Amino acid sequence: MSFFDLKGLLQPLTGIRQFGNKPHTIKFPDQTKKTADRYRGLHYNDLDVCIGCGNCSTICQNAAIDMIQLDGIEGKPGDSGLRPRVDNGRCCWCALCVEVCPTGSLNLTKDYIFVSENPDDFLWIPGVKNPEGKNNLSFTSTTETSLSMYQRVPLRELDPHDRVKSFAEVILGYNEEEARLEAQRCISCGLCTEVCPDHMHIPEYINAIAQGNDDDALRIIYDNNPFPEMCGKVCTRRCESVCALTHRGKEFDPGRDEGAVAIRFLKRYATEAYPTAEKIKEIVNPEIKEANGYKVAIIGAGPGGLTAGYYLALQGYDVTIFEARAHAGGMTFYGIPKYRFPEDSVDKQVEYMEKVGVKFKYNTKVGKDIKFEDLHAKYNAIFMSVGFQKAWNLGIENENIPGAISAVDYLGKINAGESYDVGKKVAVIGGGNVAIDGARVSARYGADVTILYRRRIEDMPADWEEIEAAQHEGVNIITQAIPTRIIKGDNGKVKAIEYLKAEMVADDKGGRPRPVAIEGSETILEVDTVIGAIGQEGDYSFIPETFQKKIQIERGRILVNEDMQTGDSKVFAGGDSVNRRADAISAIADAYKAVKAIDKMLMNK
Amino acid sequence: MREKETTLYIGPQHPGITGNMMVKIKIKGDTVVSSSTHVGYLHRAFEKLIEQRNWLQSFTILCRFCVPEPDPMELTYARAVEEIEGREVPERGKWIRVLVMELARLQSFMLWYGGQSGSAGLYTLGQWSVGDRNYVLDLFEELTGGRVYHMFIWPGGVRRDLPKGFKDKALRTMDYLEKRLVQYNKLLFDNVIFQKRAQGVGIIPKDKAIEWGVVGPPLRGCGIKSDVRIDEPYEVYDKLDFIVPTFEGGDVWARALVRREEIKQSISIIRQVLEKMPEGEYYNKIPNPMKWKIPAGEAYVRTESVRGEVGFYVVSDGTERPRRVHVKGAAYTHAFTVLDKILPGQNISDVSFILNSMGACPPEIER
Amino acid sequence: MDNELLKEQELLNAITKAYDVKGNVIRKGRVEVFVKKELIPSVLLYVKEQKGYKHLSHVACIDWIEQGEFQLTFNIWSHADKIMLYVKTRIDRENPVMENLDGIWDQLNTYEREFREMFGIEFTGLVGEKEFILEDWDDMPPMRRDFDTVQYSKDHYYFRPGREDAKDVRKTLTDRTGEEIPDYATKYSREK
Repeated sequence: MSFFDLKGLLQPLTGIRQFGNKPHTIKFPDQTKKTADRYRGLHYNDLDVCIGCGNCSTICQNAAIDMIQLDGIEGKPGDSGLRPRVDNGRCCWCALCVEVCPTGSLNLTKDYIFVSENPDDFLWIPGVKNPEGKNNLSFTSTTETSLSMYQRVPLRELDPHDRVKSFAEVILGYNEEEARLEAQRCISCGLCTEVCPDHMHIPEYINAIAQGNDDDALRIIYDNNPFPEMCGKVCTRRCESVCALTHRGKEFDPGRDEGAVAIRFLKRYATEAYPTAEKIKEIVNPEIKEANGYKVAIIGAGPGGLTAGYYLALQGYDVTIFEARAHAGGMTFYGIPKYRFPEDSVDKQVEYMEKVGVKFKYNTKVGKDIKFEDLHAKYNAIFMSVGFQKAWNLGIENENIPGAISAVDYLGKINAGESYDVGKKVAVIGGGNVAIDGARVSARYGADVTILYRRRIEDMPADWEEIEAAQHEGVNIITQAIPTRIIKGDNGKVKAIEYLKAEMVADDKGGRPRPVAIEGSETILEVDTVIGAIGQEGDYSFIPETFQKKIQIERGRILVNEDMQTGDSKVFAGGDSVNRRADAISAIADAYKAVKAIDKMLMNK
Repeated sequence: MREKETTLYIGPQHPGITGNMMVKIKIKGDTVVSSSTHVGYLHRAFEKLIEQRNWLQSFTILCRFCVPEPDPMELTYARAVEEIEGREVPERGKWIRVLVMELARLQSFMLWYGGQSGSAGLYTLGQWSVGDRNYVLDLFEELTGGRVYHMFIWPGGVRRDLPKGFKDKALRTMDYLEKRLVQYNKLLFDNVIFQKRAQGVGIIPKDKAIEWGVVGPPLRGCGIKSDVRIDEPYEVYDKLDFIVPTFEGGDVWARALVRREEIKQSISIIRQVLEKMPEGEYYNKIPNPMKWKIPAGEAYVRTESVRGEVGFYVVSDGTERPRRVHVKGAAYTHAFTVLDKILPGQNISDVSFILNSMGACPPEIER
Repeated sequence: MDNELLKEQELLNAITKAYDVKGNVIRKGRVEVFVKKELIPSVLLYVKEQKGYKHLSHVACIDWIEQGEFQLTFNIWSHADKIMLYVKTRIDRENPVMENLDGIWDQLNTYEREFREMFGIEFTGLVGEKEFILEDWDDMPPMRRDFDTVQYSKDHYYFRPGREDAKDVRKTLTDRTGEEIPDYATKYSREK
């Protein structure tokens, strides 16, 4: 083609038209460009909402986030006290940290300009460096878009109408697939371990389950808890209440599990995978030290005593456990009903302890069959975990006639294999787990059960799980009911119970509202049995006078120092009789501490 | 008079080279006798880094494989992981992915305009097109939160849904760009200088093109109709109405025509996608990323990017980390063996011109 | 179902008949064959010339350190059949030697240079500059699994000071409560 092409020469000149166009650029800083609503700018962290779990630091693939201690922020249960600091020289603003933050406190803002002559200034603490960033949030992650898994894998249980006819175990645990799926949810922050009284190594065994190594999970659990099957079935699970996932998980499951990782059921899965005591011994295979010649006596074969016996036996001590009743387990055997914690579960754990070398003497009550002084003389140390065996009196008229029984006695009889006829109608007084246990057991004997509780349902100290299960099984709960007297029938047995209705009066000082009886609101409920479950206390009559100066009892509890040692240096104590938390895991924790102290005392002599 | 053979090093810091690499040419007078390419200025060891990160954490590295057009990398990785695991992407997610890909294609073509015309000495068009490209980047900012590196497509779907008002904004931007394209035509394609420089330069023979490993617009400029979007349709390309342009000739002019036509097709695809997009889910959520495992397996996935086909070969050994991720962009063959074959006999001033038309992008070569 | 994979099956049958190799059809459009390294040149030439698989799409190398082998995978595409063929072979890791293949496809020259540098595979007869991507490299081939990049960076570079006060969340909690994590459990703790 020839070079002289008019069109080809003139067309480009039309570009001169552009001179009149508005420029693409704007005059900064007089004008600013409106940043998009989703812009990924600099970080902002809400320091009050942040719990210091460290998930952002783990997922950052540039290793840009550190967790550091800040002045003025202290750790507390559910909060590690550390806060993230971002190294802006490494950050690539991918916002993965925002997507996995379990509380939603870390977000990105619309700010993207930061100028400084000092390179160290680029190590930023979001929230501290830019408190005004709160008003400028742009890239956030809601519960829908977040990559944290807030909903628990649902657990299967027996149908309420069927299960009330037998003592078959109600909750059917996780199978392998469900357990692995549930274990995947955990972010391994470890906040739960602080609140567990025994400080079990929770993230470690959950990760072992997630990876498919159930053997390792079992070994990790047995490191400081020899009763995991019981904990896996009936623990009070304080750990789950501070789980990082509950902060937003409660949106999905308010008032119940709140989305926490099912730590308790995963523990149960890990132990149920090994059905016999031989298998447990084979897998856990603990190192049992040579006999060191020292002898230790343990009074009470409840969770505290059994734990102490197990760990002392592993250290090479000659251990004997003296149990007043016929079977080991303490309250977990004689108090917790079999549909929550079956008998073969207890037997399995106790059998394993016998294999390790612990000796048991059943039907031997200290103070009656054997004297405390003898034990003190013959053994190098004593650990007492006798629990609270006596029930409080109801304090109402006719409470000792036939037909009125305490829940502790009632459950003890049923669990020991004896029978007790509760008749057709039963009233249970109290609102704790023991009351619910009494109610559900009576329901299984065909009775029509009513629970009378002074306050409202939300004030009941029992587990929400138990309350709900009881309601499903047909138990009737009458709240704001204060019993006044038991009415005796012609045959000398219980005929009915009278109670007053109460109204909740707000407390002036801001505490819980109190129930105040309404004058003239007496109601009569016809019942055959009244079961009282308003609290328990200890029975220390076995301690002879000569020892009572050293072993001091204050307000119903044995006084111990932080090593679980009483005033008498040879005597240690733990469990319900010592601590205020009243659950089995606390007893296990006390026993573990006592074992360490006994070991220190005896080995350093 | 004998002409001495001299060695000339073009690059790595040279406006005529598309990126950071060095083309060493041996010249006699003004004509190139032989050439060889040297890379190594941009090696960031990405493949090794990906092996040390989780399946999800590595998605932040992927977009940095290719600077002008980061999205095909993200998409190919996500598709490979989904293929190994067997994860389904919901419908709306697929449509949004196609939207992102076509927008990325559009902005990359704008950048190409600048390079191609600049290397011929026509600098005005480059300034215009980079300015207009910013409107597409504004759309990306609305949608993904970032202008250049989006980090938006990940295994399972896309990260967020379309924001409110996005559709109108996008359609307005498309209208504006279509008007501007007419202007570009007048400045570049109707310009006799460009036509004279581009025709007959840098010819790739049609019978050897596939064997040499030529892909993308250079292949279509030889008259061979080959595009991953129609050979192995992925996402929703089989539901869209578009043509894949081919022109005969195999020279720079044909390739420029191919690209001009593809821009028009991209705009048309974007309009179709915005009309036809269904409602619904856009993300099939993965479990806790720190504990997400992919079963063992391998997959090889290809996507069509602006320069040609991008291939990801992903191997998993059943753990939380990839075993091996090997990436090959179009530039791997274009910048080495093909260049060695077509440069001899060309003029020095055409070296940069041909390089731009082949679309060599060094970050892709060296990862 | 079988009709859809007809072409794939045809291809597999043709290759297994011509050479002593094993293979299977993975899915529509994907066929893989496992070839001993001595047969690779013949198989590649066969599929290229006689079956029309002209487009060499990708060549990858994987280090199977547990098995002591390298795996080379050639991904070849046919425009006519629309099938991607994976040709896989294994090389011994202790002494990795392979024949130079760039007579079949020129692009293999670049791939072979990269594998030689990154994995240390020697291709007999390969003509090409020794340095491809790395400059003045004196350590072992870096893409091998036993090359520790973290250790290398610790040996050769220094970390910028200012981040020493970083704390580990799990350790902070165990210090506060006195929990002692046993040794066999620490591998399950969250890594930083």
